[in-house]
Amino acid sequence: MATGRFVDYLERDAQNQGLALRFTFTPHPLVGNYFFLRQYLEGNDPTTGRPIMEGVIDALTRPVPPAAERKPEVPKPRRARLLEPDSEENLQRLFIENGWTDGLPIVLPTEERVADMLRGTSHPPDEVVGRMTITTLQEKLEYTVEKVAINAVMAGAGPEHFPVILALAEMEEPSMPSSTTSFARMMVVNGPIRHEIGMNCGVGALSPFNLANAVIGRAWTLITINLGDSRVGETFMGSQGNNTNYNNMCCAENEERSVWEPFHVEKGFRADESVVSVFRGWSVINSMGAPNQRGAHEETAIFMKSFAALRSSATLVMDPLVAKGLKENHGFKTKSDLRHWLSKNVKITAKQYWDTDINRAFFITEAEHGVEPFATWWKLPPDELFAPFVEPENINFVVVGGETNPLWQTTDLWHVKSASIDKWRPRKPIPAKVRMPVPPVDILCSDGTCEEPATSASAGCSDGSCESPPKGKGGPQ
Amino acid sequence: MATVQNLTESRVLTVLDPRGQPTGTIKSLSLGPRPRSLEGKTIYLVDIGFGGGFEFLQEMKAWLAQRMPSVRTVLTRKPGIMFLDAPDLWAEIKDKGHAVIFGVGG
Repeated sequence: MATGRFVDYLERDAQNQGLALRFTFTPHPLVGNYFFLRQYLEGNDPTTGRPIMEGVIDALTRPVPPAAERKPEVPKPRRARLLEPDSEENLQRLFIENGWTDGLPIVLPTEERVADMLRGTSHPPDEVVGRMTITTLQEKLEYTVEKVAINAVMAGAGPEHFPVILALAEMEEPSMPSSTTSFARMMVVNGPIRHEIGMNCGVGALSPFNLANAVIGRAWTLITINLGDSRVGETFMGSQGNNTNYNNMCCAENEERSVWEPFHVEKGFRADESVVSVFRGWSVINSMGAPNQRGAHEETAIFMKSFAALRSSATLVMDPLVAKGLKENHGFKTKSDLRHWLSKNVKITAKQYWDTDINRAFFITEAEHGVEPFATWWKLPPDELFAPFVEPENINFVVVGGETNPLWQTTDLWHVKSASIDKWRPRKPIPAKVRMPVPPVDILCSDGTCEEPATSASAGCSDGSCESPPKGKGGPQ
Repeated sequence: MATVQNLTESRVLTVLDPRGQPTGTIKSLSLGPRPRSLEGKTIYLVDIGFGGGFEFLQEMKAWLAQRMPSVRTVLTRKPGIMFLDAPDLWAEIKDKGHAVIFGVGG
C-alpha cells in the first residue's frame, strides 16, 4: 500500500524490478492526518475510485495469471552519443525543457569543449567511472569519463577542476537523493589541489564568489541530474527541495589556519594527498553571534539539541578563529576532545527524541526487539534527559573561513565518503585559467591581535591562490 | 542588419547527450500464488516505517477483526529502516502467513 502521490513512482519502480506488484492507494498524506485514518480506510482508493479494502482483498485473492503478468526480458536501449545539431538558443532551451540542467543556463557541451575538458585527466574517455541512481532501488545509469566531462563542461568547469569532479563521480553518490525530505549536501576539498585550482577556503568560502567552488559544486548536481536520472516529481520527490544543491556548500578546508589536523588526515589520507569529502543531512544553523558569553562548544550544544541525533551525526563548519578559541581558551586540544564533550553534554528528553518522527520510524523496531541503546531509551520516562549523540566519532569538524569573526555553522550533516583526487589527475598539470581577486591583507588579522603582519603562509589561503596578499589595502570589515 | 538573436540562431552546434547510459535488462519476476479467499487465513500487516503507516494498519487490523473475524492478522513493524531488507521477517511470513500487506509508502 502507498499513498496516492506515489502512483507513477511505484509503477516505474515495480517495472524496474520486473514485478507487476498490486498496489492499493490511500489519500495522501497519512502522516499528520491520524484523525482521518479510519475514514480513509473505509473510503475509496483515490486512483481507482474503488473502496480501499475491496482493492486490498482483491489484490490478495485474485489469481495470478503467470503468462499475462510476466513481461519478456527487455534490454534498455542505449543512448546515442550526439544530439541532433541545432542552434545555441534551441539547444539551451532543449536542455532546460528536458530537465538536464539545474534551471540555470549551461555551457553547451560541444565536442571541442568536451575534448578540452578531457585534457584534465589521464584516464581515457570511454573508461567507466561508475553507476548512479538517486532512488534506492531503480536502475542505475552507467557513466564514463566522457559523460562526466560533458556535465563538467555544462557546469562551467575547466580541465583543471576535472580531477575533483571525477573523484566526486567515482563515489556514485548523488547530491540530491530522491527523498521527500530534501537532503542538504556539503562537499569539502583538502590537500594541495585546493590551491592549484584556486578554491576558496577563506573569506566568503561558502558564498557565491569563487569560480572553482561554484563550478565543482554545480557539477555534482548536474551529474546527479543526468547520470543519476533525477527528474523532478518523477524520481526526485523532495517536497520543498533544498537550495544547498545549487553548489552543495562546495568549499575547501582552511588547513593552514586550522589549529587541528586537516579533515582528510583525520580520515586516514596523507596530508599531501588531495581528497574530496561529501556530507549529507538536512539542517544548517548559522551561529548568530560570536561565542562571547558562552564558549562555542556550549552554544553548539544548544543548537544540536534541535537535531534528530540520527546516527549521532553532526558536522561543525567553523571559522579558524573558533577552532583556535576552542583549543586555546577552552582546552579542546584535539577534535576528539571536542567531539567527546559534545557527545556527553548534548542532552534532550526521551519524549523529544521519540516524538521526532524519523527516530520513531527508524529505531522503534530496534527498541522493541531489545537492540541497544534504543531499548533503554524507549523505556526512559518521557521527561528524562539523556545524551543521544552516543557515537562521538560521527561528530565532525571542518575549518573554513577568513577570520573576520569567530562564527560557525552547526549542521546535522554526516560524513558519507571521502575519495582521493590524485588518481584522476592529468599527466601534465593544468594551471588554473582564472586568478581570483586576493582579499586585502588587513582582514586576515587572524587572531584579532594584529601584532604582526600576516605572511602568505600564516594568512592561510583565503582566496585559494596562496599568492602573497597585497599589503596595506582595506581595513577591518 | 543581423541581430543578436538571429546570429545565435544561425550557428548550428553539435553537442553531446549528457545523460547516463541505461544498462539493465529487466528480468520479469512472478508474483506469489494467491489464496482463493482469506477465510481462516493469516495475514501479516507489515509497517515499513513511513509516518502514519503503523496507525493506518492498526485501523485495518480492527476493520478485519470486525468485518472478517475468521481472518487472523499479525501486525508488525519491519526491522530496520524502510529501505533495508528483512530476510528473517520474510521467512517468518512465508512460514506462518498466507498473505502480506506492506505499507504504507508515502
